[in-house]
Amino acid sequence: MTFSPDTAQTIFADFFDGETARSRRVKVIVEGQANSASLQIFLPEGGQTIWPVRDVREIPDQAAKDSVVFGLEGDHPARLIVRDKELNDQLQLACPHLRRINKTPHLMRRLITTSVAAVTSVALIVFVLVPLMADQMATMLPTKGEQAFGDQTYDQIRQALGKDGDTPVWECNGPKGRAALTKMADRLKTGAHIPYDLRLHVLKHKMINAFALPGGHIILFDGLLKDAKSPEEVAGVLGHEMGHVEHRDPTRLALRSAGSVGVLGLLLGDFAGGAAVLFLTERLIQAQYSRGAEAGADTYSHALLAAADLPTGPMADFFDRLHKKYGGEQGLISHLASHPDSLGRSQAARAANTVGADFTPVLTADEWRDLKNICAQ
Amino acid sequence: MTTQVLHTNYAGQRGALFWLALKTSALTVLTLGMYRFWMKTRLRRYYWSSIRLGGIPLEYTGTGVEKFMGFLVAVVVLAFYIGVFNLILMFFSYSVLNNSILAYVASFVGVIPIYFYAQYRARRYVLARTRWRGLRFGIDPGAWGYTWRAILHWLATILTLGLLLPRQMFWLEKYRTDRTWFGGAKFTQDGTWRILLKPAMHFYIGTALNILAAVGLYFDTAFAGLFAIAYPWWMFGLIHLQFRGFRVLTWHKRLGNDIALRATVSTWKMIGIYLLGSFLIYLILMAVFAIGAIIFAIIASAGGLSADFGASFNGSGPPDPAIIGLFALGYFSMFVLLGVLTQVFITFPMMRHYAESLSINNAHLLAEITQRPRDEFAEAEGFADALDIGAAI
Repeated sequence: MTFSPDTAQTIFADFFDGETARSRRVKVIVEGQANSASLQIFLPEGGQTIWPVRDVREIPDQAAKDSVVFGLEGDHPARLIVRDKELNDQLQLACPHLRRINKTPHLMRRLITTSVAAVTSVALIVFVLVPLMADQMATMLPTKGEQAFGDQTYDQIRQALGKDGDTPVWECNGPKGRAALTKMADRLKTGAHIPYDLRLHVLKHKMINAFALPGGHIILFDGLLKDAKSPEEVAGVLGHEMGHVEHRDPTRLALRSAGSVGVLGLLLGDFAGGAAVLFLTERLIQAQYSRGAEAGADTYSHALLAAADLPTGPMADFFDRLHKKYGGEQGLISHLASHPDSLGRSQAARAANTVGADFTPVLTADEWRDLKNICAQ
Repeated sequence: MTTQVLHTNYAGQRGALFWLALKTSALTVLTLGMYRFWMKTRLRRYYWSSIRLGGIPLEYTGTGVEKFMGFLVAVVVLAFYIGVFNLILMFFSYSVLNNSILAYVASFVGVIPIYFYAQYRARRYVLARTRWRGLRFGIDPGAWGYTWRAILHWLATILTLGLLLPRQMFWLEKYRTDRTWFGGAKFTQDGTWRILLKPAMHFYIGTALNILAAVGLYFDTAFAGLFAIAYPWWMFGLIHLQFRGFRVLTWHKRLGNDIALRATVSTWKMIGIYLLGSFLIYLILMAVFAIGAIIFAIIASAGGLSADFGASFNGSGPPDPAIIGLFALGYFSMFVLLGVLTQVFITFPMMRHYAESLSINNAHLLAEITQRPRDEFAEAEGFADALDIGAAI
């Protein structure tokens, strides 16, 4: 259909001027050529409003099929509701930018700045503010509270490691094995200054792993005991974990995680849900402390071994084997292997040795067998 | 206008809504949820334009960009609140009580004020972006005032086992209504909270029966059977209170001095819509699932990806990426379809019933109402989006 001013007819439409709620029946004529044309809207009380066709927009996503709503560019509230098919056809032809979306000034730039600012702020909160506060709080938390915190997380972890999530993973308590473990810890403890009783646990799990929890919990996995070639290797690991305990590293980590878990839930839309708890558990088992915290725990372990007249060589052997086994793999779930610099670590351990080959072993051969069989029922 | 009474008609069509919802839901899934702000905006534009009071449609002028930006701002504020707040709670809970119960309780309680706050702010945004006859709606700022009132009313309601629920409904509705504007004309909620006593009758009976059953259970286990009547009655009472309450409250609302609103929402009609809609959705999903399973079986048996199918299916072999892909596709399709069908068979007919039951008396006075200025409100309904409040529309 072609359109020219000569054939323009007067057809009525409903007009709202955007200043009052008054409804006006108006006569609409399209006048002028191409892009310089305009809608002449004749008001019933006399006078007229002029809409340049370039600025006329059709309001999108309208439900009604029997009418079309037109407006002006920008946020102008005036509306023209056209029920007449012929007038609608005319307007569709005459107005070149009906479907153009209102331009928000600097939209892209604003979108990008806001997104970057939001992501940065959340990252600052999760990676800077929460850790800083957690570090402070870890040193201020009373011992009793720390123990309660540890007890609870220990239960959660046992639950999470259990086979079907229902039954907690088995805690190994063979009496002879426990006696051997206690003997080992007692010998190491001579050089330690831990403010609460150590609580040692062995869990029946294949992973070669050991980690500490707030309040003096140290957890060894059966997999580690099976893998160890001598009791001194286990003693080295135990000393390392005692270092974490005395430095309150697990408390710091657990508090940090508690702070970030809620934020994570928010972002994932899992506001009070289970993913958060799972995440918390994994963080604790994986226990990726800072390089400084790991080195600190190593040095601490070296000192404990020296005070107990035990060699550091076996500890170095253990780390060498672990390094070979897991390579430099990232994202492993063993806390012991999470340290990126295993080689440097075993070198440092060897260098710290103060004991000759004639030391008194930390366990007798029988006791060592008992410890290895602590999970046998 | 010279008409005295304006009736509302509903111009929406299920087919059009279905395609709009399907298209926007698919985009939402493909953009990992990012498009949801635009989806909601477009659905609202459609629903608003369906509602034609006196033949003139409502218009929704919000934009997806506004909602997205508002969401970003809210996430930062909430990340700070939740991250830091949770940490402090955890610390004090363990320091003082040696357990985390306090922290969990307080962490939950701490979100409640944000919930009400977000509710009011969301209403402010939606009203500021709603227009009719070229004029903007709006609501005065007052989210904190609403928040503490809502908390106190809820406390009173819970402590009285629901006895004061009508009072809470009335006063919160009055708080909102008395701050709401259409152009330069203000809405007013008239009446007292006792106008809701009659709509609450079934709710009260249900509550009383439940209490009777609970007390009776102390003396005789046979009273357990009473719950079978008491609970559904209570449930119906609660629903009836919502819809009949809406009706009664609307009849006591006015715009300016003399423009009156009328609503004739029916509880049974709404329950019928919900039950029938749910049943239809269930049937369709089942049919689609069956067809999907047949297609899947044909593809699998045609040999396309059958080699490791059995092995990867029962876990004895490595999972076949093609099978995982098919399952993921199926899963998301069902998810999208459920959302779309809920719009088409539940939200749509409920909106229609609400709309068609609404009328305006003394409508000739509308012509005198003038425009109100634009409420920029850059935060949009970010808090509500972040906390997923008001998910339907």
